[in-house]
Amino acid sequence: MKIVVAYQWAPDPQEATVGESGTVDFSRAKPAMSDYDATAIEVGRAVASAAGASLVGVTVGGASVAQPVATKAALSRGLDEVVVVSDPAFESAGTLPVATVLAQVVQGLGDVALVIAGDTSIDNGARLLPPVLGALLGWPVLTDVQTLQFDGTAATAARTLPEGVQTLSLTGPAVIAVSADSAKPKAPGMKDVLAAGKKPVTVKSAADVGGAPAPEGVVRSTAKPSGPARKGIKIDTTDPAAAAAELLSALRAAGALS
Amino acid sequence: MNTYVLVADSPAVSELVASAAKLGRPVVAVVVGPESVAKAVAAPGVDKVLWVSEAAGQAAEAFAPAVADLVAADPGVVFAGRKPAERVLLGAVAARLGAPVVAGATAVAAEGGTTVVTHGTYGGIAVATVAYDGPVVLVGDGGGALAGGGTAAIEAVAATPGPISVVSLAPSTVEAVDLAGAARVVSVGRGLKSADDLPLLAGLAKALGAELGCSRPVAESLEWLPKDHYVGISGQHIAPDFYLMVGISGQIQHMGGCRGAKLIVCINTDKDAPVMHQADYVLQGDLYDLVPAITAAV
Repeated sequence: MKIVVAYQWAPDPQEATVGESGTVDFSRAKPAMSDYDATAIEVGRAVASAAGASLVGVTVGGASVAQPVATKAALSRGLDEVVVVSDPAFESAGTLPVATVLAQVVQGLGDVALVIAGDTSIDNGARLLPPVLGALLGWPVLTDVQTLQFDGTAATAARTLPEGVQTLSLTGPAVIAVSADSAKPKAPGMKDVLAAGKKPVTVKSAADVGGAPAPEGVVRSTAKPSGPARKGIKIDTTDPAAAAAELLSALRAAGALS
Repeated sequence: MNTYVLVADSPAVSELVASAAKLGRPVVAVVVGPESVAKAVAAPGVDKVLWVSEAAGQAAEAFAPAVADLVAADPGVVFAGRKPAERVLLGAVAARLGAPVVAGATAVAAEGGTTVVTHGTYGGIAVATVAYDGPVVLVGDGGGALAGGGTAAIEAVAATPGPISVVSLAPSTVEAVDLAGAARVVSVGRGLKSADDLPLLAGLAKALGAELGCSRPVAESLEWLPKDHYVGISGQHIAPDFYLMVGISGQIQHMGGCRGAKLIVCINTDKDAPVMHQADYVLQGDLYDLVPAITAAV
């Protein structure tokens, strides 16, 4: 039995620079694994060990996902092996093409009981990859899961909704997106990093998974995000009481405070 | 061709219905939930309701394949909110239609079979206007309750649930907040040294008549406040009259959730924090000095 963790190795948009016309430049942003995915691996490790399953990491992305620094970073967190689909064609690919390739890899692995993913991607934030992946596989999907138990066939999951703490049961195979507070990922130690170098890595190209994805749309224009222009008025804080008075009078003048 | 709004358990979909109506096609709401939700959604702006009845103990997610079937019978542009079950229904439709997934759309238009969408890219750091060949699925702010007095027909649809069920719903020990509807919000970030200092911020929020929010790490990594308190792209999207950010650096993931605020004030020790360039009033200094001073002065 296998449990899969779908993870992402991508540059953080926080490190990207955005030009005046809305062009995004990632050349100075270093790709990495986000905390969401580190959390998903931590949950996956605990669930796989309890169920006696092997834990397989799967990712889809550009050239960087197959580099040793990327695969070692993933493996050192407790995965038993990784399958990476690496092709420039998948750089910045959308939710549907990425989910389509992930579904194909999961089906190819065989005997997968559960796919676990992080709560959100670092670069897109739509939080729809697990739902699309589950639908492509024909498996039930639950998101925002904070605690997860799995006995090999049935899973129990709990999450906090505005209505209260909801506990659900489902029978596998299934796709589960776990929330950022579902585990506290440990930083890998030297032993983990050394062991990671010896674990199996399978690299596939776009050609191995049905070819490069067609572009999802034609970009007509780009721009910087708009919103109210900010005034950027600096208030001297040398004297906190004077700063407080100045701020409050400014807020009252603006009608934000009565 | 219809435009669809997916509804799971909650009829708070006014923003989605308003966006769907702009495409100028019949608006069909696909509702998974009790009959009361289907009735609440049969509101002005909605032309028809397809209702999948959910019995007690069933989860809306269990009906995702059924919802995908309903939309696939006559595909069109599909809207849904960000709640967990709403996203699962929308994902099932995207997979069935082979439709691109779009988040953070600010404008949607139909040009024949082409759907033109203006939306944020990479979590909202930039904006693009993109022409998609065929329907897309859009995830966005649900909005509030719909107005009453609608005449849309409700058509009950039989569906078999998938293998997910609700075992229990225990009352949460934490109080729910309505950040999205608040006129004033004070949020706290990792600049706060300890959870023991939260009363400092709660006191400020109370004095200002504001709701207390936070950044994502405060809710999810530190767990100092409940998850529904955090503002950001994946959390609460707020547009208050006045937003005070205390000890929050102002990364795009956070700013994406508060870009619509009329007035932003920040308190931060770091002169290089991104928020310093994204606020109307900037107080560079120690929150432990400034927060008590402001609370005392109100």
